[in-house]
Amino acid sequence: MTEINREIILDVKHLEVTFVNNKKSFRAVKDVNFEIYKGETFALVGESGSGKTTIGRAIIGLNDTSNGDIIYKGKKINTHLSKQESKDLTRQMQMIFQDPAASLNERATISYCIAEGLDNFKLYKDEKEKQEKIDNALKSVGLLPEHKSRYPHEFSGGQRQRVGIARAMVMEPDFIIADEPISALDVSIRAQVLNLMNKFKEERGLTYLFIAHDLSVVRYFSDRIAVIHKGRIVEIAPTEDLFAYPLHPYTRSLLQSVPMPDPRIEKSKELLIYDESKRDLSGEKPKLREIVKDHYVFMNDREKAEYEIKLEKMIKDKEESNK
Amino acid sequence: MSKENIISNDSFEFYKVDDSASEVIAAPEYSYWKSVFKTFFSSKIAIFMLVIMLFVILMSFIHPLISKYDNQNMAYINDSSKWYLRPSLEHPFGTDDVGRDMFDMVWAGARTSLFIAIVSTLITTVIGTIVGMFWGFSKKIDVFMIEVYNIVSNVPFTLIVMIISFTLSSGVWQLIFALSCTSWIGTAYFIRVQVMIIRDREYNLASKCLGSSTSKIIFHNIFPYLISVLVTNISRDVPHFISYEVFLSYIGVGLSEKVASLGRIVQTNAKYMQSAPYLFVIPVFVTALISVSLYIVGQTLADASDPRNHMI
Repeated sequence: MTEINREIILDVKHLEVTFVNNKKSFRAVKDVNFEIYKGETFALVGESGSGKTTIGRAIIGLNDTSNGDIIYKGKKINTHLSKQESKDLTRQMQMIFQDPAASLNERATISYCIAEGLDNFKLYKDEKEKQEKIDNALKSVGLLPEHKSRYPHEFSGGQRQRVGIARAMVMEPDFIIADEPISALDVSIRAQVLNLMNKFKEERGLTYLFIAHDLSVVRYFSDRIAVIHKGRIVEIAPTEDLFAYPLHPYTRSLLQSVPMPDPRIEKSKELLIYDESKRDLSGEKPKLREIVKDHYVFMNDREKAEYEIKLEKMIKDKEESNK
Repeated sequence: MSKENIISNDSFEFYKVDDSASEVIAAPEYSYWKSVFKTFFSSKIAIFMLVIMLFVILMSFIHPLISKYDNQNMAYINDSSKWYLRPSLEHPFGTDDVGRDMFDMVWAGARTSLFIAIVSTLITTVIGTIVGMFWGFSKKIDVFMIEVYNIVSNVPFTLIVMIISFTLSSGVWQLIFALSCTSWIGTAYFIRVQVMIIRDREYNLASKCLGSSTSKIIFHNIFPYLISVLVTNISRDVPHFISYEVFLSYIGVGLSEKVASLGRIVQTNAKYMQSAPYLFVIPVFVTALISVSLYIVGQTLADASDPRNHMI
């Protein structure tokens, strides 16, 4: 990536999402900050319940935010928007959902599913253009135009997810939130869907926010990664940096949890279990701070000193093993 | 080794794989309504009941047009030879205490009762469904409507109907108003619960992300899922209103003597249960026939309209 003059497409500042149930409230997302540059794939990784999906949904406006700003192309979007503004935003920002079986209307034909957005924004001049757009959308995801009159339950999981992608792509968006798009899919077709998403990224210069928990997929697919734990971002780094030099203990245990395809290594591997109660949390309140360029860690001054030593050691080890 | 047996790269050529071939769906196209009728007509009892239902409905709407039955026409009131005639070819259901033909009277009565039940069901279902869908969808409406529901549903239905029919005097349209003026809220509540179950499913969120308006989501995403519960509801409501009309006429708050209705026929002839049982048994049997056939046809149709029953 060229580092100079990267245009920020989405800027999330001090985002907080609170769910209120009667009088009890639960903060699912706490003080989250990140920037997404135009044309990159930014991944949010964390265990289930960590708030990844909530962040994605807050950005697209499905969840209300209780604090902080979401700034898309220089405009704050988590406030009350005028009809025209929210219309424009909906066109530019689309979402790919996790479960293709649940996210398609079972009682509507594929043609209706794909044309739903087109109809809402009248993105066609006449019926002929609309049908052409539907046909092209189906072809672009490897489906056949004859599938138009079929119902979602007649398709396989991978085909359904491709319908979900076609539905988002037909709107010609700039920014896509992909909420675990492949975790409900069979392993054999995951690559197909990911390659399809990459194809669209190259063809149309899309920006992705990729939400996932599968680290090997994230490593293959994304440019930068944010690791999230209990609603808080603990580390942000470019993909290879994060895998080479994980600093925060949670990131380290997360990376280590990826199973090795070698049973001997896998068996002898000593597991790092992240337990916040056993950590030394002395010192002032930690914050997300830059340790080296583009590498942010959630830490305070004392931890920063520790991480710097650790980082140096890791770099040295790497160099030695490369020799 | 001979030369022919040597395998080299030249003996192979690339096979072009047609990716689109694997995407073809071989199964015949699914059509919702076709599957509904296929499932419905696979039940023999339903077909039998449908025939009975159509016969009863056609009889009660066509026969009174031919017989021109008038409940107040008592031409034979002084001719004792026309009273209490047993069922015969001339009078298939016999005659009553003033010499009126029971066959004409029963079908005219069935017409009135069916008309009241169908119109009341129609009003209840249309209002109840529209209100229920918005009620279930919007949390703001819910807060208000749940209180209205609590108040209305705690007042006995019979009391409301009795007061309305006393104040508005008796008549077909007054009875329809009395039956449907509060019962729509029951349907609305039922629909509200169904809507709440499917309201937060992911495909509704997807529609929202695609910019669909609330009314579009309600009518395209939620309404199709309600068809089978609506049919269930209708198939329960029609017999319910028929028996309610019978009950109200029986206790004397329903219709007046001006029009024949099944309820009135049963009520006036109840006293002949032993002396001339056909006067009582036949109208009751016709009432039961209407209720049972409508109910079974409706229930089978409700099952058939649920796509989960379409898989073979």
